[in-house]
Amino acid sequence: MAPIRLANPAPVLGAFRASSRQAPRWNCMWRSYHSYDYNQPPPFPAAESAILSRAIEHVPGYGFTVDALKLGARDAGYLDASTNLLPRGVFDLVDYHLVMQRLALKDSVQFPDAEGGKKVGVGSKVRTLTLARLRANEPIIHRWQEALAIMAQPTYIPPSLAELARLADEIWFLAGDTSVDTSWYTKRATLSAIYSATEVFMTQDKSSNFKETEEFLDARLEDNMKLGKAVGGFAAWADFTAHSAVNVLRSKGMRI
Amino acid sequence: MSLQAPRQLLRRQLLQAGQKRVARAPYRCFSCSVRQTQQQQTPPKTPQDGPGTTHFGFETVAEALKEQKVGAVFSSVASSYDTMNDLMSLGIHRLWKDHFVRNLNPGRNPLTTPSSGEQGWNILDIAGGTGDIAFRMLDHASTINNDAHTRVTVADINPDMLAEGRKRALDTPYARSPRLKFVEANAEKLDMIADSSIDLYTVAFGIRNFTHKENAIREAFRVLKPGGVFACLEFSKVNNSVFDSFYKRWSFSAIPLIGQLVAGDRDSYQYLVESIERFPSQTEFRDMINDAGFLVPGQGWEDLTGGIAAIHKGVKPA
Repeated sequence: MAPIRLANPAPVLGAFRASSRQAPRWNCMWRSYHSYDYNQPPPFPAAESAILSRAIEHVPGYGFTVDALKLGARDAGYLDASTNLLPRGVFDLVDYHLVMQRLALKDSVQFPDAEGGKKVGVGSKVRTLTLARLRANEPIIHRWQEALAIMAQPTYIPPSLAELARLADEIWFLAGDTSVDTSWYTKRATLSAIYSATEVFMTQDKSSNFKETEEFLDARLEDNMKLGKAVGGFAAWADFTAHSAVNVLRSKGMRI
Repeated sequence: MSLQAPRQLLRRQLLQAGQKRVARAPYRCFSCSVRQTQQQQTPPKTPQDGPGTTHFGFETVAEALKEQKVGAVFSSVASSYDTMNDLMSLGIHRLWKDHFVRNLNPGRNPLTTPSSGEQGWNILDIAGGTGDIAFRMLDHASTINNDAHTRVTVADINPDMLAEGRKRALDTPYARSPRLKFVEANAEKLDMIADSSIDLYTVAFGIRNFTHKENAIREAFRVLKPGGVFACLEFSKVNNSVFDSFYKRWSFSAIPLIGQLVAGDRDSYQYLVESIERFPSQTEFRDMINDAGFLVPGQGWEDLTGGIAAIHKGVKPA
């Protein structure tokens, strides 16, 4: 059975608003759950997609700017003015990059079922996927700080964080995580933190083939594992101590 | 002397208004007009709303008459247009217009443009008689985008508003340049403008007064190039009901009063607030733009000041 995932574009609460915001033709295609039985709707409408896909080609040269958008619109056969089709301007360009790279992840990374009889653990799958996602920033890494600055604008912080959460969810989902307890949340939260820290580190990385970024990511994942072990160990110890304390009191005749 | 003249005028107007009032029901300043508001807020859905009639504020008039009546309103307010806008909106209309223009970002930067091809945008500003939007567009294109080629054609149905705009253009650098042109035209029949020739079609606080809004939008679709943008700044519906009640009180009681005191014309401003009330809501207007064939960006509109005004956009598919 397919594990339930975060809704792709609209959380449950957003679904109400979406009905008034979206043109009716999109409504019938929106589902608040993931299913293998239905194709997901394309993430962007056709015209926006045409402009943005051409604009992203200009990002290495012009950065995440209005100029890149205008050049993209011209390449796609539109006018400079047509960039008004994107209500959030350059943030839409950043968002396009984030969404497309997230969706590309499931095709770019494949895990063979068993590798020489040895199964790949969820942890190493998460590492591979996270690295693959970071590598997707390579062509535009010299411009990525601009994108981070745009995402840090107060209006764009909530959608940026939502996109980060969706990325973390995508990575755990593709790694085959099926947890249904509170660790569902902690896993996604810690991966979000690690991913964003590594991404910022990568913008400053001058080593060949981003070797240092890889080391940084491994160190953070290890920290996380140690921390997880420590927390888990502490919880087991507290549980054991509490139970034995109760048992000691019971053996003394106390009615608990 | 110069100070005394307007004061005398004011006194005379108040006196006249007072005399008029005697004949009518007892006048109790704000409370009376508020009651009027409450009575009128649900505009009468009259059965005689036949095909040949349209709305003029809350009145139902023959279609042929509306254009004439709107013409009379704007002829009478043309000279005090700016002062009145400042007083009625507490100056906020300037922020809206600035935001509107900045968001459209008109002008083609020569530094990022291949030297071949067309230079600058061709902008058509409908119902822009006083040039409010046109001057802002040209300023933005020249100073922000270093574009000295963007042209604006200001079209208005009302010669008095155009005269006001021409007069104001003299204070700008564009008065005698080919970049600014004034045309007297009906937005529903723009015969002098060729098909697919315009990059940006703007209408700010104008479409409310058109007799056939659908026709005007269809005409916009015709004159725009593929990929061209239809942008409309217009009063809309306030989203928050508490804020709405304050806003209604302000618009139905204070605005006609300010109109009476400053412009000496209560009826024109009564029409103004009624026509705002009658204008379709954000979603309805978005659907009208959609129906004309435009692509609508995102949700289709942007609310300004809690929905008092809204910017609607549409892009002609390429």
